[in-house]
Amino acid sequence: MIENAQLISLSRQIALQRQMDVVANNMANINTTGFKAENLLFEEYVMPVARDQNFPTINQPLSYVQDWATMHDMSGGAMVQTGNELDVALNGTGFFAVQTGAGERWTKAGSFQISSNGTLVDINGNPVLGEGGPIQFGPEETGILIASDGSVSSSAGPKDRLRLVEFANAQDLTREGNNLFAGGTPLAATNTRAMQGFVERSNVSGVSEMAEMIRVTRSYESIASLTQKQDELRRSAIQRLGDANA
Amino acid sequence: MKALYIASTGMSAQERNVEVISNNIANMRTTGYKRQRAEFEDLLYQQVTRAGAQTSDQGTMVPAGLEIGSGVRTVSTPRVMSQGSVNITERELDVAIRGEGFFMITLPDGRTAYTRDGSFERDAEGTLVNSSGYPVEPNITIPGTATSVSISPDGLVQAYLNNETIPTQLGQLQLARFVNKSGLESMGDNLFLETAASGPAQVEIPNQDGTGNLLQNYLEMANVNSVTEIADLIAAQRAYEMNARIISGADSMMQATSQLR
Repeated sequence: MIENAQLISLSRQIALQRQMDVVANNMANINTTGFKAENLLFEEYVMPVARDQNFPTINQPLSYVQDWATMHDMSGGAMVQTGNELDVALNGTGFFAVQTGAGERWTKAGSFQISSNGTLVDINGNPVLGEGGPIQFGPEETGILIASDGSVSSSAGPKDRLRLVEFANAQDLTREGNNLFAGGTPLAATNTRAMQGFVERSNVSGVSEMAEMIRVTRSYESIASLTQKQDELRRSAIQRLGDANA
Repeated sequence: MKALYIASTGMSAQERNVEVISNNIANMRTTGYKRQRAEFEDLLYQQVTRAGAQTSDQGTMVPAGLEIGSGVRTVSTPRVMSQGSVNITERELDVAIRGEGFFMITLPDGRTAYTRDGSFERDAEGTLVNSSGYPVEPNITIPGTATSVSISPDGLVQAYLNNETIPTQLGQLQLARFVNKSGLESMGDNLFLETAASGPAQVEIPNQDGTGNLLQNYLEMANVNSVTEIADLIAAQRAYEMNARIISGADSMMQATSQLR
């Protein structure tokens, strides 16, 4: 019986450690452009058969805890004005499309650059996609303008339009690191506006992550002390039983 | 327990951020200085459960995956090449560039460096040099008899020699443009060097093909805004502290584990 209690505590402790990892990753990325925080979801995992079966009544199911999924918190981050003409923030749920070696990827990090051959690229050098492929600038072009619908123009006249995509369910997306998301079914963006000269900061809230961290450490400690008490209980039970036999 | 390592990547990223901000603040009064900005990225994710994995024979799927990130890294510190404000200095050899382009300076080893710092001087031979004494490219020599040197917005350098009434043309200043000016390498001394990322320099006459025009008697100030730098500094410092708190939180969890007997 006590063994069951210890296994349940253990399942909670493992889940809490993982939650701490998620909190730490959010906190580490508090200054990452376009970063979206993650939340860990838990579910009850019902074990129909207890390991120790000598309950006085019929068998009781046991409830373990299991970390089940991480949810992307897709709320907008703070928009910060930088004045840089190649900084673009997205107001809304949409993403930029970039071309990587592994295929199209989605990102919210709109601090772009122009590569040495004039292509608009993200911070890793992946070309940013327009409706008709990568966006190219000539060496003499100045005054790059990006309108709120994503259309790009320069001193050489109108260019392509940035390919902005939205997703019916952003939870389908997987994270790849390097500020990139993969997967999902991209739809043409309708509710997203581009803002030139701004970047979107990370949407991590320092306050709520700190509160979460305190909650996690405290519940971990209380579970640990519970485990300790169960152990003491078991030890004293064994001692009593030993005394009775002597 | 990954949290310790994850939080340590966060602390080192914020440390880097503070370094970049302090260099910006230190160069707040440097002529032609362009501020830098630290850019961060999240690291790889461990996919504990993949979204879309099948959960039963009926084809039900995991609606959202379980992904644990592994921290943050600094990707780059690109320069923000926006125009700095121009201040009047009333020195006839001070030139500010209004718009795109860089002055070209010949280094002692023969290479060409690029700069936005137009505080030029004359050396003993009358050659136009930058404040380190390196000649401006193309070479312009101002004779000792010259009075009132004038530099036109198009870079034409003229002076009145021997009290003549018609100015003599001394030379033509040129500007270099780059496709990707954020890709220039900083060599210190207000100078930049061409790299494979910046693309080759395109030398133009000022005011043509997208290059800016010149303003004599003015200098371009640094484009550092002290208020935003201080705000960024405070944010970086607090983020550093919060990452440190995560480390002590993770430590107290490990302590709780290690005290179990």
